[in-house]
Amino acid sequence: MIALLETLKGYPPFSFLEDAAFALIERNAQIAYYPNHTVLIEPTFLFDKLFVIIKGMVEVNNDDELIDVYRTHDAFGGIELLKNQASLYQYKVTEELICYEINKEVFLKLCEANKAFKDYFFSSIVERLEMLKEKREYAAMSDLMMARVDKSILHNACVLASDMPIIDSLKKMEECNATSVIVKNPQGYGIVTDADLRYYILYQQSQELHRLSDIQSYPVISIEEGELLFNILLLMTERTIKHLPVLDKAGEVLGVLELIDLLSFFSNQSHLISAQMEKASTLEAVTDAAKRVEIMISALHAKGVKSRYIAKLVSEINKKMYLRLFEMIFPKSWHEKCTLILLGSEGRGEQILRTDQDNALIFEEGFLPDNIEEITQTFILTLDSIGFPRCSGNVMVINPQWRKSIDGYKNDIDSWIEGQTHEGFINMAILFDSVAIAGEKNLHTQLRGYLIEKMSGYQSVLTHFAKPIEHFESALGLFSQFVTGAKEHQNEIDIKKGALFALVHGVRALALEHAIEPTNTILRIKALNNIGFMNKEDASELIEAFEVINTLRLHSQLEKSAKGKKIDNYISIVEIGKLERDLLKEAIKSVHSFKKMISYHFHLSMVG
Amino acid sequence: MFESLKRKWNRKHLSDERFAFLFDEIPGDEVVVFDCETTGLDPQKDHIVSIGAVKIKGDKILTDQALHIFVQQKKGIAHESIKIHQIRNCDLHDAVAIEEAIESFLHFIGNRILAGYYLEFDVAMINKYTKKMFGITLPNKQEEVSALYYDKKISTIPQGNIDLRFDTIVANLALPRLKAHDALNDAIMTAMMYLKLKHTIKLK
Repeated sequence: MIALLETLKGYPPFSFLEDAAFALIERNAQIAYYPNHTVLIEPTFLFDKLFVIIKGMVEVNNDDELIDVYRTHDAFGGIELLKNQASLYQYKVTEELICYEINKEVFLKLCEANKAFKDYFFSSIVERLEMLKEKREYAAMSDLMMARVDKSILHNACVLASDMPIIDSLKKMEECNATSVIVKNPQGYGIVTDADLRYYILYQQSQELHRLSDIQSYPVISIEEGELLFNILLLMTERTIKHLPVLDKAGEVLGVLELIDLLSFFSNQSHLISAQMEKASTLEAVTDAAKRVEIMISALHAKGVKSRYIAKLVSEINKKMYLRLFEMIFPKSWHEKCTLILLGSEGRGEQILRTDQDNALIFEEGFLPDNIEEITQTFILTLDSIGFPRCSGNVMVINPQWRKSIDGYKNDIDSWIEGQTHEGFINMAILFDSVAIAGEKNLHTQLRGYLIEKMSGYQSVLTHFAKPIEHFESALGLFSQFVTGAKEHQNEIDIKKGALFALVHGVRALALEHAIEPTNTILRIKALNNIGFMNKEDASELIEAFEVINTLRLHSQLEKSAKGKKIDNYISIVEIGKLERDLLKEAIKSVHSFKKMISYHFHLSMVG
Repeated sequence: MFESLKRKWNRKHLSDERFAFLFDEIPGDEVVVFDCETTGLDPQKDHIVSIGAVKIKGDKILTDQALHIFVQQKKGIAHESIKIHQIRNCDLHDAVAIEEAIESFLHFIGNRILAGYYLEFDVAMINKYTKKMFGITLPNKQEEVSALYYDKKISTIPQGNIDLRFDTIVANLALPRLKAHDALNDAIMTAMMYLKLKHTIKLK
């Protein structure tokens, strides 16, 4: 088979085709070369073939207005062929093109034989998103298979000498909380697991079993560190063993790998990190577990898990992490007199990769410890070491502004409402998105209750609160073309300014107006639907848009992170596929109409 | 003058008139790019394992009319060459006798211009059989792709050493890299090089 065709199999819609279909394509398709600036199709011309780009770029124009860009692995002309419709646009090569050309007759035959293939060309945005996920799954399988064993998923080994009496060894086992004993013999290791102990209980009398060496399975099956987890899984299932000692290069036991942890790794790493977080007894152990989160995120994203579920898992793990840090760093005497809260994106449970830290402390009235500076510094330094960049707006416990008594915060709220400054309302927005993580959570409930009570229903103040939604222009221009950044962000759009902020802030303003409890944007949208403010269609469209934007942003951030670049909110519109681009456009359009609705609802045009 | 004499001499030796079309004077507008996988690098001793060929017409590679023939082997394929081509003996069950392969190949190329990467070697391999079977060597005009590349490259680095390895040329011409290395895929790659070079005035 022609290797170029083989590559196509990984991309929709060709991923839906069977081998027989590829044989048909192979017998009929030609490879064409077009130099730069070639015009492939003029408006009103008919397509007579499907173009599939092997390499290069084609721009679609309507009277000099850029409509679309097709790049490697994109196909075009399909819908026109199926509808037997003349082209509306001009298709022009802007980067030397090598492409497959599948003639009309064969293309229609493929469509006839395979419904999924045909439907792809007519599919809606939501459906295409699903297909895209399938594709990613295909690409990512190998990543999961390539993971190697390292110390972090191992249990501490309980290594005992072979002449130790069995009863003593059971005590040791209990102490180390181990499910197996690694037996150190003069030559090589043995292992004692539950099966061996069962044997001991049954036959200790009749066979005079006393020492570990009497019951051990010897020699033990072991592996060296760095082995592929997938190979280990094969080994363990093949030999039906549940415990596998992992040795370092020198032959010393590093730890024991248990089948259950291995299986959970393949299903979902989150279980593991969660467990590690709970088990952690030192700051170091917490940091170690937290550092695995990013690997988990890329694995889940690659598996095609929706970004909102990833966000949920990550925020659950982060909550556990903050709780552990609170218990370890903050003195016991503080625990009932203050509460640690997360704000902003962390408060909404929407931060996936670590973009910044937003945290604050609320103290009980009258409680103000001396060593506050030192303790909060330690806390922030620990977060630094885990890899949380500091908040650019300085919303952190080391800032006296964000560590004060509950009444202090209440005063702030009053002055924000009175002052009606942009900054004041942004602070209010951050505080409104907060959740309490540890300590005396009641303090937070009171404070948030105060905020809602002061704001909800006060239409004129809410108008000012909602106003920043108009601060940034939409990332989509008049004729649905992307508005990209200047120089260093050429061909990129800032998705936070261009769409995400408007969506999140608009929903936040509505949530405040209707005194909605949850802080998460999706939950807020659902609540707005439940109270009858928003109909079901609008709500799901908005959630879908939020999902698309977050997925693409996460994708681009993971790529940047893999390349060692700083993660930001820019999405390249040329590096993503045609499908993603279309999805993004639809999402931005949805946000745009939502923004209009908000402007109208809060009468934003009436305030300056 | 000398060329045409050689050509006449060659024609005189053609022992099978069925293949007179190879000597037709009227040239078409098509080029055939081909590649042979062999058991080794010595045309005297080694054999052809497979032949891959595609036609180029204008700016299109006619993959819909590609030729990919596997040749029956008298002896098993030596270990070393399996590593390079990844053609195992069991891949050869659709294989045909070498005589049949050569005849199909000659019908495929007709009097078209031939192009290839280190074409000299592939032509020598074919000639070994055509000489035996029909008394002639391939009379077709030939274009060497690495020479085309050299000419466009040398103008930028006069007296420079030009790396003519297959993979280097692929990378330099920014062509998509193919994983498979069989005769047909190599012929297609070479065809892409050929098209691109025909459109390139000067290489950087």
